[in-house]
Parts: sequence; C-alpha cells; structure tokens
Amino acid sequence: MKCLFKLITRKSRGGVSMKDARADSEIVAAGRGNDCQLHLPDPRVLLRHAEFTLRSDDIYLEPSPGSDVRLNGALTQMSKVAAGDKIRVGPYELILEAPTPEARLVMSVELVQPLGDDLQSFIGRSKTQVGAVGLSMRAWSWALALLVAVLTFGVPWVLSLFTEPPPVAILLNTREQRAPAAPTELWTSGGISSAHKFFGDSCEACHQTPFVPVQDGVCLSCHNGVQHHADPNLFPFASFADDSCQSCHKEHQGNRTVALSNQSFCADCHANLPDQAPDSTLRPASDFGDNHPDFRPTVVTDSALQIASRERAMSDTPPPVEDSSLDFPHDKHLRSGGVKHPDRGNVQLGCADCHEIEAGGSYMLPLSFDRHCHQCHALKFDTFLADRELLHGRPEDMFKQVTDVYGAVAMRGGYEEPEAPALIRRRPGTQLTPEEKKEALDWAGAKANTIINGRFGRGLCDGCHQLFESPASAGQTGAGWGVEPVTAVNRWFPKAKFSHGSHRDVECGTCHEARLSTASSDVIMPGIKTCQACHGGESAQDRVPSTCIFCHGFHDSDLPPMREPQKAAAHEEYWLRSTLMAFRSQP
Amino acid sequence: MQESILVYRSHLYLKLATILTGASVVAYLWHRPLGVPNGGTWLGYTLGTIAALIMVWLAWFGVRKRRYGVGKLMLEDWLSAHVYFGLALGVIATLHAGFQIGWNIHAVVYVLVMLVIVSGSVGVYFYVRFPRILSENRRGMTLDIMLGQIAEIDREMRQLVLTLDDATNKAILLATEETAVGETLFGQISGHDPHCATTRAREFVERAETAGDDGRRRQILTRLVRKEELLVRLRRDVQLRALLKLWLFAHVPFSVASMVALFIHIVTVFYYW
Repeated sequence: MKCLFKLITRKSRGGVSMKDARADSEIVAAGRGNDCQLHLPDPRVLLRHAEFTLRSDDIYLEPSPGSDVRLNGALTQMSKVAAGDKIRVGPYELILEAPTPEARLVMSVELVQPLGDDLQSFIGRSKTQVGAVGLSMRAWSWALALLVAVLTFGVPWVLSLFTEPPPVAILLNTREQRAPAAPTELWTSGGISSAHKFFGDSCEACHQTPFVPVQDGVCLSCHNGVQHHADPNLFPFASFADDSCQSCHKEHQGNRTVALSNQSFCADCHANLPDQAPDSTLRPASDFGDNHPDFRPTVVTDSALQIASRERAMSDTPPPVEDSSLDFPHDKHLRSGGVKHPDRGNVQLGCADCHEIEAGGSYMLPLSFDRHCHQCHALKFDTFLADRELLHGRPEDMFKQVTDVYGAVAMRGGYEEPEAPALIRRRPGTQLTPEEKKEALDWAGAKANTIINGRFGRGLCDGCHQLFESPASAGQTGAGWGVEPVTAVNRWFPKAKFSHGSHRDVECGTCHEARLSTASSDVIMPGIKTCQACHGGESAQDRVPSTCIFCHGFHDSDLPPMREPQKAAAHEEYWLRSTLMAFRSQP
Repeated sequence: MQESILVYRSHLYLKLATILTGASVVAYLWHRPLGVPNGGTWLGYTLGTIAALIMVWLAWFGVRKRRYGVGKLMLEDWLSAHVYFGLALGVIATLHAGFQIGWNIHAVVYVLVMLVIVSGSVGVYFYVRFPRILSENRRGMTLDIMLGQIAEIDREMRQLVLTLDDATNKAILLATEETAVGETLFGQISGHDPHCATTRAREFVERAETAGDDGRRRQILTRLVRKEELLVRLRRDVQLRALLKLWLFAHVPFSVASMVALFIHIVTVFYYW
C-alpha cells in the first residue's frame, strides 16, 4: 500500500508549513519507533501505536494493545476508516483524505498537542514559596483575634445580660438554691475564698458598679459590727478609718480565707510599738520565734476587791501569783500514791478527772464543787444526821440551813446523840408544851452555833476557803465569820486563742506543771519557752510556722464596730424576710 | 539579619533587657504582698503596666518594620530590642501573674504571649541558623538555575528514551510530567516527597531488563540520579525558606490575638475592680 503523509507544522507566527513523506508497505505502522512508516517522535506515542492495513480495498485502523486511539473523538478498536475520518494518535491528529492515483492511503499529520515548555510546566506544578500553599497570615490573624474576642468577651458579656443570680441573702439562707455559674466567670482573677464560695458565682453580689472597686457596704451587709483593732479614741492611727475592707481582706486568692495571716502585716507596727504608741501597755513583738515577749497572765491580785492585773511574766522572779481565795494544792491531789476516795479506796487522780474540755474543743469547762470536789469532800456535819450535808454556796444560806435543820430536829425529837437532852431524844411525834418548845429551840440554836463554828462547819469551810471574821448582825445565827468570795480565772491569757483540742495528744504536764504546785496561788500556765519548743515565727523551718493571728485576733471583740452598721439593701431585706417566712411555713 | 541582631551594638539591648528583668525579679523577691503574690498588688500593677507597654511596643515593630528610613533608630536596633525585650516580657508577665494560672481570660493573655515568645524564639533560631544552611545547600546556584537544570534534564531524558521500550518511556514521561516540589504545606515542611515520580522512574530503570540499548539506559539513569539529587536540594531549599516564613504564621496571628486579649484582660480587671 502506497502512502502519502502530509506533515503539517504550525509556526508560532501563524504560518503553516507542509512537508510530504511517502511510504510503501503492506502494513503501515504509526509510532515512535524508527521502523514505523509513520514516524511520530513524541514520548506520548508508543513505539508502535497503531497500524493501517488494506483489506479488499478498505483501509482498516488497528490500535496496538494498551494504546489509546480515537476515531472521530471516540476510543476505537479495529475499525474501517475512510476519507474524512479524524484519528488521534497521542498528541497527533491524522485526517484521512481521498486516495490519489499515487497513494492509496493519504492523510495529513499534525502535532496538535505539543509538549509544553519543561521549565514552565515544572514551575507551574511546583510551589517554591510558602505563601503559595494557601496560607494567609492576615486571614489567620483576623480569625484568631475574632475568636479570642468572641469567646472571652462577647459570649460572656451577652450571656450576662440574660443571667440574674439570686441575691446573697437567698443563697445564704436556702440550702437548695445555688448561684448559677456566671457567664463572666471567665473574667475572674482567681478562685473565691472558701467562705464566700456559696455566692462566688454571683459577680454582681460584690462588684455592684462596673469600674468601681468593691465598697465596704458590700462586706458590711453580712459582716455588720466588725470591731475596731484598737480603741479609736486612744489610738486613732490604729483605727484604719481610711482603709477599705478590701485593702486588707484580699478576695480571689483561691481556697484560703480572706483574713490575712502575714506576720509583716502586724509586725509593721508592733515591732516597735513603744515608738508608735507610747501609751500602749503592749510590748513590742514581731516574730513568735525570735521577738515576742514572755506571756503575762491576767491574774486576780485581790479576790475580795476583784482586782486583776497582768504585771508579771511567767518567767519573772517572783512569778505571777494569783489570789483566788481558794486553797487547793494540786500536788496533794495528784500525788503518785493516789488519794483516798470515800467509796473506792485509794484512787489515782488525773487532770481530766476535774478539767474537762468544753464541747467546742478549745477551753476547759469551769470547775464546780458539786461535780469535781463533792465526791470526796462531802460536807457532812452530824453523824446522827448522816443524810444531811452543808449547803455549798453562800455562807448565809448554810448558816440558815443548819439552824433550820436543828430547829426541825428539836421540834420532831428522836435525835440520838447521847449528849443531847432527853427532850430532844424523846420519841418522835410527842407533843410539847410551850415551855418545852422554848427549851428545845434554845438547844437547837446552841447546837447550830456549835456546828457552824466547829469542826464540821467553819472547820470544813476553812479546809478550802479563806475565811474572814465579821461581827454578827442582828437576828443572824452564827454569822461571826464569812467566806472570801472565790474568783477563779478561766482564761489567764484572754487575748490569745488556744485550742486544747488541737493539743490533745500532748501530755497535760508538758505545759502545766501541776504536780509540783503546792498552792493555788501558783499560776500553772506555760511560759513562751514552752510554746516555742514547738512553734516558731512565720518563716520557721524546724517549728510549726505560726504567725500572729495563729493566736491573736485583729478585730477586738471588746471594742465598738469599725464602721457604722449598715442597713441591708431593701431588696435583700425583702428576699431575706420572704425566705425566712417560707422556712417557717414549712411543716 | 543573622547573628548580628543578637550581638547588635555590643549587646546593648540584651543588657537593657537584663537590667529590666533583673530589677523585676529583685522587686518580686523583695516584695511581701498581703496574701499571695498576684497582679493586684502595687507591684503586680506595676509589672503589669510594664508588661503591657512592652507588648504594645513589641507589636508596634510589625508596623515599624514596614516603614523604612523613619525615626532615628535603625531597623536593626528595633529588631535587636524586639528580641531581647520580648524575652524579658516572658519573665515580667510571669512575675505579674505571681506564677498563678487558671481557666480565665487572664490566662488566655498569658498563654498567647508565651506562644508569641516561643514562636519568636523559634524564628530567631531559624534566622540565625538557616541562611548559612541555605547557601551551603544551594552551592552557589540560584533557585532559577536549579529549576532550569531540572527542566533541561527532563528534556534530555525524553529524547533519550524515545527509542526505548514503551514501559521505560512511560516511566520517564511520568518523571518529567509529575515530579513537583512543595505541592502541599506538609510537603514543603517535610522537605521530601515519598511519591516522587523521578524516584519511581529511577527505581524502574534500575530494575528494568536491558532491552538491547544499554548505553541509553545508563545515560537516562545518570540523568535521573542527577535530577533526584537536584530535587533533594531544591526541596531542602523550599523547606528552609518555608520554615523561615512559617514561624511568622504563628508569631503574627498570636501577637494580634494577644493584643485583643490584653485589651479584654485590662477592661475586665477594672470592670470587676
């Protein structure tokens, strides 16, 4: 089969050049290979891409396996082709023309999809700049800034417009209701202190006016009547009149109390108090471990006149002495051999037999004769009246009691004492004549007088109490003496807090040398050295770090309020009242 | 803009920033606040004000660097001070916070500032280290020369392979048409392409049975190896230059966000004073 290939080349300026190529072969192959009759030198063409054959005067196109040949736009297998057909072989377009006498197979051949510029196509595929991969710093910046603004300000602020937490009074007085989480909680500068947590989510409870610091009135709405630190008349500079509550009480510092414990807070003034307040009787202190005066107990110096003073410190010589007017030797009661109990024989007494911690766990309950002395020291005064005991309390009552007891005995008779007159020992119930009555009452008076002033009256009292002589008033039996009033101090250090409960694992004797005390005038309290064995100042390393408010309070409960008491805000008062009403009406 | 910004003016700005940081640390250690140290004490407010002013000044660098020849200080002064005062900000902001952090807006500012400082530090590291690696990697060539050489190799290979078998031809065709550099962000950062068509072609040609024309095959293989080597360096180049810019994609947006958060931080602190 003779062939004519019209090779068309289009020039970039628009011109077309045409070159003829001829071939003569049984099978006309089109491909990249040099042996092909139609040589198509392009890498996108197979070595042998397709073949044209002549069978019974028809030309057939046969694509090679794996090649893609399109006939008039459609993928084709073996097909008959004729003039006018367009055949695509890779990037080449072959258009069949009518045969001529010289050539049976005539076609134009044109490279319609030339390979691009290698450099340009490589650059086109590649991205050598980071900006080319679609990152936009500006968009990303805007997005992040907007996200921060919306999430941290916009959303909380908008939500806060629709949230109104219940008033503090409601939260304080109802157990069911809790403040809903405030949307503006995101703005909090730190955790709420433990005591304020129950309304901590209600920002507006304290922050009542935006951009205005929390006012004292907010604090006083609950903490009405907080007292001065020092007498404002004597020490006006220590009245802190110009300071707000929150200048000392710092909220939003997490799970801690808003009461300050910093030692420096106190030491700033108290380190050199004599300079700051010459009139103060307090001595300088700045650190419990290093600079703190010894303890000066408040002791009764005159029981009769009820005078107390705190002149001497525990370590002074002579030590502080107390005049309670009671005579109680601790050593005899605590001696190691034990003491004789009327029913139980010899018993070993311990501190706790008399000194009991109050329910709150801090201090000791007051002592009483009935509970702590009576078991051993029953005030029996007459073996023939074995069930009678002297009244313990006011001596006058006791005098009257004894007089009445013997008056009744004289009237009733049957008193078995051998020395008593027959009239008194008579069979009970016998009627007396007026003369006998007088005789009996005379005996009763004399007997009462003997008892009151004798071993079982005055003698018993004298065992523990200080007595004084007093001339008998008219009409009073046996009142020639009296008992000094007892002034027992319950707290020797009234300005210091102490918890016996916290120290319950420590032996009593570690701090109180009671076994060595022979007289009740001894003040069996520890000095500072005893406490310093375990407690040090704020920065102590080998002791319990103990700042000033570990023992001392700032606001003095004996002084008037620091601020004018505030009336609760009208709406809070309303809520409080209605809440309390609701509680009362509950079954 | 290499090591010079770090030693600029005999470490003048390092010294100034160290003095400011040292003074802040000493004040923090000396200060005995009521309660725990926090932004609400007088020292806390002072450190916060200093930190906020530094933040605004540091952010102003973003504006200043676009204005050439304005002001008395050189851009190098600005950049050197930007680096050292940025690092000082990390310490001062931490002292301002009193080492406290929580789930709140204040922590958002702190975290954003720390992200800005960390990304900035990464940027300084890149700027100090990469220019030298970049020029070593280029071996005196420009990017255009490397691209041109690859294109030239492609052209040569296609010519050489025309007479070889279809499979080899196909592999080379793919290697010239599909090989690309830095198509994706990950591709740019990783610095290599696990599916590189050139590598696959090289592996194919190495494996393929010699079909008579061993000389051409070897010529093609030489060019494939050469192209691969060029691609490794090109990708490394793209990677280094991408990293030199990428830290800014964290640094700048976090800076902008931190300015917004700073504003909200200040407003909300005084809103609930």
